[in-house]
Amino acid sequence: MPLLNIRNLSVAIPTPDGDVHAVRSVSLEIERGEIHGVIGESGCGKTMTGMAALGLVPKGARIAADRFHFDGEDLRENAARLRGRRIGMISQDPAAALNPVLSIARQMDDVLRAHRDMPRQARHSEAVELLAATGLPDPERVLKSYAHQLSGGMQQRVVIAQALATGADFLIADEPTTALDVSVGAQVLALLRKLVAERGLTVLMITHDMDVIAEACDRATVLYAGLSVETGPVHDVLQRPGHPYARALLAALPDAAPHGAKLEAIEGSIPPPRSQIDGCAFAPRCPQAMPVCALQAPPERTLAAHRWLCHLPEGSA
Amino acid sequence: MSEAPMLEVQDLVIRYRGRGLFAARPKPAVNGASFRLAKGETLGIVGESGSGKTSLLRAILRLLPVESGSVQLDGQDWLTLKRDALRRARQKLGVVSQNPFLSLSPRLTIAEILAEPLLAQGQRSGPDMQKKIAGLLSDCGLPADFLQRRARELSGGQAQRVAIARALALEPGLMIFDEPTSALDVSVQAQILNLLADLKESRGLSMLFVTHNLKVVAHISDSLLVMRRGDVIEYGRTEEIVRAPAQEYTRELLSFGRGTEHPVIHKTALPT
Ligand SMILES: Nc1ncnc2c1ncn2[C@@H]1O[C@H](COP(=O)(O)OP(=O)(O)OP(=O)(O)O)[C@@H](O)[C@H]1O
Ligand SMILES: Nc1ncnc2c1ncn2[C@@H]1O[C@H](COP(=O)(O)OP(=O)(O)O)[C@@H](O)[C@H]1O
Ligand code: SF4
Ligand SMILES: [Mg+2]
Ligand SMILES: [Mg+2]
Repeated sequence: MPLLNIRNLSVAIPTPDGDVHAVRSVSLEIERGEIHGVIGESGCGKTMTGMAALGLVPKGARIAADRFHFDGEDLRENAARLRGRRIGMISQDPAAALNPVLSIARQMDDVLRAHRDMPRQARHSEAVELLAATGLPDPERVLKSYAHQLSGGMQQRVVIAQALATGADFLIADEPTTALDVSVGAQVLALLRKLVAERGLTVLMITHDMDVIAEACDRATVLYAGLSVETGPVHDVLQRPGHPYARALLAALPDAAPHGAKLEAIEGSIPPPRSQIDGCAFAPRCPQAMPVCALQAPPERTLAAHRWLCHLPEGSA
Repeated sequence: MSEAPMLEVQDLVIRYRGRGLFAARPKPAVNGASFRLAKGETLGIVGESGSGKTSLLRAILRLLPVESGSVQLDGQDWLTLKRDALRRARQKLGVVSQNPFLSLSPRLTIAEILAEPLLAQGQRSGPDMQKKIAGLLSDCGLPADFLQRRARELSGGQAQRVAIARALALEPGLMIFDEPTSALDVSVQAQILNLLADLKESRGLSMLFVTHNLKVVAHISDSLLVMRRGDVIEYGRTEEIVRAPAQEYTRELLSFGRGTEHPVIHKTALPT
């Protein structure tokens, strides 16, 4: 049974101008011990999907799903309890996640005291052990520091150590490397892979960067306009994408074309989040759209563990 | 004899003042940069945060004093120009930065935004100016009905097109881009990179393009400068550097994510 098991999740946020369909229909199955990437353009619902699993949707938001389970428990009732016990969160901005006026020692100790039944001295050694596990070279010195004295990469490691300190075995990482330099980001991704291997961690990795998916993830799900349109092993999704949107995203990357040649831009933009979608959400921008695409929701195509939604038959790429 | 380069920088050193009267002199933000940009070419400058990219651009724009070194712009000794001569020469430069929304007044119409630099230069408003503005907008791939829209109603990619159109208004020979696509989605990034390629072709623009994304800059630049902690660690023709990077650091940046031969390889193999 997948650790995170989501079937047709939707999140609607009421606003004075009508409902925002932040998530329309997302299905995700994340197995224990994998890093699962969720990729898509800005506004396609990546963050809101993660927030729903953390029980942190905006006030008044309506969540619906055929299934919305973490380790067999229904997230609609239990998200708040699971957050900070089993489910941890890493965001794009580590500086904002840390308290600027408390030492790292104090912040680590607060987390350990709240979540683990341990005497003071044991908490200290646990804090040192966790910081060391995130690859910080001098944990004792880091403990004495304040957030602003640490680089972005070090701050992100402290945030990861804090999540581990709660005892979480599932991390939701929302663009964890976007604010970091490429080389520092690569180190943080390597760290997450190490923690998956050594501690049996499971990670939901939200990103808009195909290189992050390639670098760190085992499987990936592509979102478009609040819909999961493709899912499968990273190898398949990046090298044999089935959905025309996934293909277009890859073709638009600067290294997809010869040096200096024109890139294949995707014309148009995502459907407005308040709109009703009939047929395929990508149809207005899809170079292969057919009449049926405007009217009927596309069926699921399957090649082993690789699945996508499209009216085109398999193998028509 | 070959034409003068658009920009020639030699041994440029930039150092910010230390804090406090007796503070130790900080190490230079740019430590002896030299490069040359031929007319009609694009030079990509890549490096991580704090490596000195923006400092270099600010010095080239004369927003920052330099400690030593020289800058020749279109054959002129650019660092010694004063007042009016400097003002006139600055019009050879156009600038586009990372966040288009910060650089556009949200309440002005696009027509007003594009007229601003022309009016500031003393041109008179009228049908000629309207025609020019409409031309700039269409060169940047936006239909004429955008002229009456306001900046706050634009998407990120549309706003960046307007920022580029405005920077082109005074027909600069050298365009300076500081992370122009970093805030955009890849689909929009591709549109903007295509637009820059078109403008380079149609207007013979020279461009300085700064980014931390080596793959972006490797695609559009003719030559490449890699900076690290104030030093230029690699400089040469883009295709040469991509084919055979001399520095381990450049190699790392190039191999992040989807490689060319093995698109999916985890850098840390899982123990079996
Ligand atoms: N106004 C300033 N006063 C003092 N030091 C500065 C100032 N601006 C930049 N620096 C320092 O100069 C060095 C180079 O900074 P610069 O802004 O040029 O880097 P960059 O390569 O543009 O980085 P980024 O990718 O973050 O934009 C850094 O060490 C930075 O801390
Ligand atoms: N608090 C909110 N109120 C109204 N709309 C929102 C709110 N948060 C997000 N949205 C909208 O929901 C959609 C999905 O947003 P998000 O999950 O943040 O996307 P992503 O993380 O993929 O960029 C977007 O159209 C966004 O504008
Ligand atoms: S269903 Fe039709 S419009 Fe949608 S992606 Fe497939 S071919 Fe394109
Ligand atoms: Mg987001
Ligand atoms: Mg900068």
